[in-house]
Amino acid sequence: MKNVTSIGVREKFISSAQNSKILARKCKDCNTIMLATILYCEKCHGKKFNLIEYPGKGYVDTFTIHTVPPEGFEDVESYAWVVFTVDDVLLRASGFLPGIKKPSDLPIGSEVEVNGFDKKHGLVLKKI
Amino acid sequence: MESVCILGAGSTKYGKLDESIIEIALTASVDAIESAGISPEDIKAGYISNVFGVADKQVHMAPVIMSNLGLSHVPGLTIESACGSGSVMFREAFANIRAGFYDCVLALGVEKVTHTGTNQSTTLFSYCSDFFYEGGNGASFPGLFASIARAYMTKYKADEEDLANVAVKNHENGLLNPKAHVRKRITVEDVLNSPVVASPLKLYDCCPFSDGASALILCNEKFAKKSGKPYIKVIGSGRGGSPAAVQGRKDISTIPGTVIAADQAYKMAGISPHDVNFAEVHDCFTIAEIIDVEDLGFFQKGKAAKEIREGATSRKGRIPINPSGGLKSKGHPIGATGIGQIVEVFEQFTGQAGERTIKNAEIALTHNFGATGASAAVHIFKKVN
Repeated sequence: MKNVTSIGVREKFISSAQNSKILARKCKDCNTIMLATILYCEKCHGKKFNLIEYPGKGYVDTFTIHTVPPEGFEDVESYAWVVFTVDDVLLRASGFLPGIKKPSDLPIGSEVEVNGFDKKHGLVLKKI
Repeated sequence: MESVCILGAGSTKYGKLDESIIEIALTASVDAIESAGISPEDIKAGYISNVFGVADKQVHMAPVIMSNLGLSHVPGLTIESACGSGSVMFREAFANIRAGFYDCVLALGVEKVTHTGTNQSTTLFSYCSDFFYEGGNGASFPGLFASIARAYMTKYKADEEDLANVAVKNHENGLLNPKAHVRKRITVEDVLNSPVVASPLKLYDCCPFSDGASALILCNEKFAKKSGKPYIKVIGSGRGGSPAAVQGRKDISTIPGTVIAADQAYKMAGISPHDVNFAEVHDCFTIAEIIDVEDLGFFQKGKAAKEIREGATSRKGRIPINPSGGLKSKGHPIGATGIGQIVEVFEQFTGQAGERTIKNAEIALTHNFGATGASAAVHIFKKVN
């Protein structure tokens, strides 16, 4: 039986996000933590992991506010695309944060939380 | 191992072109063949880079182009690597000459997207991201680079005027390039007052969507010498990769693939960054050029904005960057861009660059990447006197 499979991983990640969690893999050999969608360890290339759900809270590393959005996001009045670091873990994720109109609405370091996974807009965040 | 040379180069104008993707591809190919002074039958393989052929109702591009050149029996290969397609494809052409599989090949990059309009082009380009995490969460390409810009500006205390200086310099260079897409002098104020596309990036921080094609004839040195035509040598080649998603990078203010590719290319060429006389780098957005010139080793991390402000990267500066006008002014037909950069080097080193000519240059570098740097390539060239 294979230690690693890609089948169903995204669905599990989405399911975790719908419960405001971030699904990650922790390498059993070197303890490196990666998003669950990465199949082999980035550091030691190990194949054995523990799947861990982390609370989907973190702080903003960087972001942008789109004036010209891609297809599927034209209906959103104003939003930020955010890269954030999950609290207490050396792990970054990114998501869609509606309602942000200007950069001063979201200073770097602001706290955000996963607020579900939307079929149309992907990983949804909220500011806390 | 064979020495690899470039014997001919051709390019269409970059911009909004009315002809079909195949027509512009063939125009650049014929220009390169005639520039090299070879017969079509000398071409033993065709390497073609393209991303959005489907937007002009044509995929499986290589055999179609080879057939239209009367070379249907010659093997062709189409390569896609987003905005880095041209240089990634060039590397494969280079490797096959170097390994001795062929003595002469065509390397052609082509793109045609402007007919799709800004909204569809924005959407198409977002497919080049790690879509599950980026395009699918609302990130456009300007948005991805805007997030990189904000990270860089926060870490190194750079500002929007620092970004604008890149655009002003490249537009100044593009004025001297008759094939550039946007030939317009702009000021820092023009950039700062242009509409915001994705904060902090404004319209003039972004390269245009362009159509265009560029082509090269690569050959081994024996073939080049026998032709009696002017040629240049490829002395370094490197390829690198980065996490496809911005979130996967430990430091968002650098592009790891560039650093890896540059290190390989410098080692192969036996030179350091200080030996490079000018460079064509991937300035899809102004922030990209600032990060590029640091990752390529021309400046220390965090110092490029100051150096650019003081003129170090202007045509008469210490290390001229993008004398062609770069992606920002010359344009960015994404499948062609990496080849177009090398066309500029060929023209510079064979006396065809006119007023753009960088005086006394002997060694040049090209740098091109796909998406936000997930696939990167660096090549180094030497003038042959």
